[in-house]
Amino acid sequence: MSRVSVKIVGASGQGINSVGEIIAKALKRSGYFVFGYREYPSLIKGGHASYQLDISGNKVASSNKIVDAVVSLDHNGLSIHLDEIKDGGYLIHDMPEWNFGDSDKKKIEEKNIKVILLPTEEIIEELNAPYVVQNVLFTGLLWSAFNQDVSKLKEVVKERFASKPKLIDLNMDCIDKGYEFKSEEEIEIKLPDANKDCSDAMLITGNQAIGLGAVHAGVRMFASYPMTPASSILTYLAEIQNKTGMVIKQAEDEITASQMASASYFMGTRAMTGTSGGGFDLMTETLSMVGIIESPMVFVLAQRPGPATGMPTWTAQGDLLLAVHSGHGEFPRCVMSVSDAEDGFYLTAEAHNIAERFQIPVILLTDKHTAESLFTSEKFDQKSYKIDRGQLVDGKDLSELKAEDRFMITDDGVSPRWVPGQAAPGYNATSYENLPDGTVTEDSVPAKEMFDKRMRKMEALKNSLPEPELFGSDSPETLIIGWGSTKGVMSDVLSDLDNKKIGYLHYSYIWPLKTEKLLELSSKAKKVVIVEGNNQSQLGMLIKQETGLSIDSKILKYDGRPFFYEEILDKIS
Amino acid sequence: MAKYSSQNPCTWCDGCGDYGIWTAVKRACVELELDPSEVLMCFDIGCHGNMSDKVGGCYRFHGLHGRVLPFAAGAKIANPKVNTIAFAGDGATFSEGMNHLVHAVRSNYPIVCLLHNNENYGLTTGQASAVTRQDIPMNSSPNGIPEATLNPMDLVFSLSPTFVARGTSCDIKQLTEIIKEGIQHDGFAYIDVLQSCPTYNKFMTDEFLREHCSSVGSDYDASDIELARKTAIDTEDKIATGVLYRAKNSRPSFVGRLKSREGKKSNLVEEVEKGDVGEFMEELV
Repeated sequence: MSRVSVKIVGASGQGINSVGEIIAKALKRSGYFVFGYREYPSLIKGGHASYQLDISGNKVASSNKIVDAVVSLDHNGLSIHLDEIKDGGYLIHDMPEWNFGDSDKKKIEEKNIKVILLPTEEIIEELNAPYVVQNVLFTGLLWSAFNQDVSKLKEVVKERFASKPKLIDLNMDCIDKGYEFKSEEEIEIKLPDANKDCSDAMLITGNQAIGLGAVHAGVRMFASYPMTPASSILTYLAEIQNKTGMVIKQAEDEITASQMASASYFMGTRAMTGTSGGGFDLMTETLSMVGIIESPMVFVLAQRPGPATGMPTWTAQGDLLLAVHSGHGEFPRCVMSVSDAEDGFYLTAEAHNIAERFQIPVILLTDKHTAESLFTSEKFDQKSYKIDRGQLVDGKDLSELKAEDRFMITDDGVSPRWVPGQAAPGYNATSYENLPDGTVTEDSVPAKEMFDKRMRKMEALKNSLPEPELFGSDSPETLIIGWGSTKGVMSDVLSDLDNKKIGYLHYSYIWPLKTEKLLELSSKAKKVVIVEGNNQSQLGMLIKQETGLSIDSKILKYDGRPFFYEEILDKIS
Repeated sequence: MAKYSSQNPCTWCDGCGDYGIWTAVKRACVELELDPSEVLMCFDIGCHGNMSDKVGGCYRFHGLHGRVLPFAAGAKIANPKVNTIAFAGDGATFSEGMNHLVHAVRSNYPIVCLLHNNENYGLTTGQASAVTRQDIPMNSSPNGIPEATLNPMDLVFSLSPTFVARGTSCDIKQLTEIIKEGIQHDGFAYIDVLQSCPTYNKFMTDEFLREHCSSVGSDYDASDIELARKTAIDTEDKIATGVLYRAKNSRPSFVGRLKSREGKKSNLVEEVEKGDVGEFMEELV
């Protein structure tokens, strides 16, 4: 795939995200696929941050490590990113007084980097404008470097400032100034051919997609406590709450958030919570409780590097075993993993069906790279989803119920469910081991019977889950296995390699682990490789535990960064 | 009361205050003519929580130590038609569950918090709670507690409550009336029930309670928060019981203050259907 990458860098608070988002939208409307990737430190003002756009005429879902241009809004960007600019690439900045150090000069010379100075201070003075328009000038310049129609860009900026009409004229002037700026050296960042098909697509983050998936699934209550990279689910659902009528509760802690959402689910609505590692730790006693009261619940666990506070604004896939093993005692659960915006929508909705069908907790994993990256995605299909409430009893059947039907011993472990407020016999939903009507028991025979009943749901659940999805070769010589945001980079690399011998097996449903397809493919493959964003190869550990298959060839990364396009390309081609 | 009875035998110690509270709650529900299917009793973990399967007919939930308030609040938000009573103990509520209590009062969730206050952790065999008196040897503090004793009423009043009451396990008649008022209050109804614990609390016996507690009487003005706070926290000579504070023109409950729910006739439990996200997708194009 022919792709172009630009990285807008500067201090947090300088408006680099707006440059990225505005350019992304204008490009998409001009027929390009865009993938937006943010790197930023865990603070509000200052610190060094970046917004990278990878642009292509075809689907793109990963970031390049080496970019065509770096646009630097502050002096830090002038030396930090030199190694990331490709030979003959651009470094665009606005520091007329800047003296590059000797080693930087050497790099610029050796790599033939074209350094472009945009005199923003001069232009701003001339316009008698506030300094905050600096980023808009760069936006205009970048747009002209892409050789795109300026009216498309202006349209997007006007929409963005729709609520502040007084600022529109000034922003239009800035776009013009940037767009018309002529540097001594001509700038041209040649974009690949546009594909007009994506003009109706969305630009959406993974977390927005999870939010929309929840709305689509009929979730009516979302309780959460802010924690990166899950917070944007909370803020997005809060932003649209007056239209959806969903109850959004920012709780006093994650224990509360998980208890409140679990209670709302218990009452018969659909509810959800979202958090990251440390917050999830606080939710695990609730997870265990949901397991024994056999009530549905969905927990979104958005991963970032740990342990403890770790690197809060970076990505990781280090909480898979946490999701599988968290919570005291043994109880059935389902662990799923989102890998892009489409998954965010469809898997979130499916998670609620699974939770209700089996009356179990579902943990929906995502990672910062999926949660906060900007995907070019077709509009989601709203026709196919059907709400499945499992064995929820309604109507006249209620009158036939007895309290002991609620936790009735059944073959697949799933019992009829009805909820407080329904005109039927009340039962006791208790965190203690119990008899079918919820009466507490410590007797050995009924205790084991009830335990077995609950655990039988794992078998029924496993039988209902799909096998992992295979991309690339149908009968691969090299079988690559991964999960989560790895899918984006793998599919980009595979579509470019056009190598008929490589296949990528992607796990969206991870626990209980489906192994049939994996064993069939691995037995025929010459080489099996696992790709994971963690240190211990956690999916590899689960695979070994469940199948005995030991995958010794591992591509592991745990420095907070996602797998970049060239990294995977180098390692597998 | 048959509607709320269970076949399961009670397992509390002889003379436990939980018997009185158990009776008063069932009686309150019957006297208010509540249909058992519209009652949810939520229990914390502790001796009192063992009531969960000693009551029948209505829906019951028995959760985790210290967590009953957020669960009861989440349940009520989902279906405000269900009368939701949270049974809590002094051990959990004033230690692990303190965060929840503070925010529950502040949030004014429309639930009843029936606090079984026996001044100790009974179920774990008599350790001091945050409200255990000074100089009393307890299981894990034979020298008495080095910490100060918490005054629950002072704490609750500092949080701008909308309903505060105090009853005792040995005056079932009065407690029944208090619980009825609590259930009818559209907001967070905090009811502190002083109860005997004959096994581990040798101080606050039924005799002590009968001697020291007295009802505030019919001429008491329960709408005056300053008077109420003073009446509630001053327990030196006499312990005032009854509805001590009921906010006049009480601020709306949490459920009533949700802007996103204005004008909605249905409850969350009636709204689980496929949501159309077309409008939101269009905004992202």
